[in-house]
Amino acid sequence: MTEYVLETQGLTKFYGDKLALDHIDLKIPRGCICGFVGRNGSGKTTAIKLLLGFLKPTAGSSRLLGCDSQDLTPAIRQRIGYAAEGHYLFRDETIGNLAGFHSAFFPNQWDGQLFWDMIEYFGLSKKQKIKHLSNGQRAQISLALTLAPNPELLIMDDPTLGLDAAIRRQFLEGMIELIMRQGRTILFSSHILGDIDRVADRIVVLEKGIIRADCSLEQFRTAVKKVRFVFSQSPPQTIDIEGLLNSRRADKELEMVLVGTADEKIAEWAKSAGAEEYQIIKQNLEDQFIEYTAPAGRNKPFAWEAK
Amino acid sequence: MALWIQITPGSDEPIYLQIVEQVGEAIAKGRLAVGDKLPAVRKLATELVINPNTVARAYTILEQTGLVTTKTGSGTFIADPSMRGKDAADINMLADRMDGIISRGLNLGIESQDIIAMFKDRIEKFLKTRQGLSGQHGKRR
Repeated sequence: MTEYVLETQGLTKFYGDKLALDHIDLKIPRGCICGFVGRNGSGKTTAIKLLLGFLKPTAGSSRLLGCDSQDLTPAIRQRIGYAAEGHYLFRDETIGNLAGFHSAFFPNQWDGQLFWDMIEYFGLSKKQKIKHLSNGQRAQISLALTLAPNPELLIMDDPTLGLDAAIRRQFLEGMIELIMRQGRTILFSSHILGDIDRVADRIVVLEKGIIRADCSLEQFRTAVKKVRFVFSQSPPQTIDIEGLLNSRRADKELEMVLVGTADEKIAEWAKSAGAEEYQIIKQNLEDQFIEYTAPAGRNKPFAWEAK
Repeated sequence: MALWIQITPGSDEPIYLQIVEQVGEAIAKGRLAVGDKLPAVRKLATELVINPNTVARAYTILEQTGLVTTKTGSGTFIADPSMRGKDAADINMLADRMDGIISRGLNLGIESQDIIAMFKDRIEKFLKTRQGLSGQHGKRR
């Protein structure tokens, strides 16, 4: 049986009369790296804060490692790592003091060797004060502080925002290093789809507070298809095909974005609509994400369910 | 180190397929010979900074197509060609790829018989590099 380290049921959050999260149901199995994507303001940070119990939901609930987010015990919190967007650290402290402070929360699991190896690798030293460091260096310290307790579940809110390519890569390396250990799970949000493609094996797409996809990355990659049909005359006005998300027409061409439509169905439709030819256009994850979350000409019928 | 495997994240080809193709090409060109060992899943994942499940997925596909065999506990090895199956799906995929090339060729204004000639020429060159390599690495095993 699959074990879920993170589950939500109808998780909902209003800020005043503004709906930020609308009944989200998520199930993240143990052992995966899950990329959490969505446009700015889609509700990712709200969701993460609810998961960690920093915010109270308006309705619904969530559980981390089997424990309700609103009642996370210190013992459960010790097993969860969290890196906040912006990597806020105590500015007046030295790296050494910060390590001492953090390690005290994790008496039996703090890996000092790993922490100081990383600090050395980043070219930093014990006596440096946080306030004299660059954003990138603060992010590196935050990464070391997050990984040193060897978290069972690691949640990172856009950890690589504004970081240079080399430091971003270090974050990805850190994630891969952690996931190699038995039974670890990572959820991280990012706008860099290339990074998601690189390290994630699962993807959650959030849009305007609604979960639009929660499946393996491979399923998402396979499901979202862009197809271009060429007709000898104008393309048909009505399009009746399963999984249609969006369509554009130009002269004798018709382009469709389909979700979860089998190739055979596309071939059948092309034949019945009298298309001269058609082509399934290969897209990278970023293009797929943009197509998938693009404003449609009509209401989107669904959150796509992976089969 | 498996420096010959180079992946491009964010490409229109999923990463696991990039690995499948590169291993397939290395076998076709004779850079990998029967019995050669592929890097361990975790090692390749660390080197390429990609999810270990992605590497495992690629190896599973390679195994399903019969290009490699996995021996429990000792690793993944290039399989004997006589053991490789080719099913209808593989042939269809190949035909699809060829369609793509043909349409590009026609769009460039190349006549169909010239495309056929180009195919022949490429196949000859490809087989030549393979012979060259197998001569070089003949005693590798």
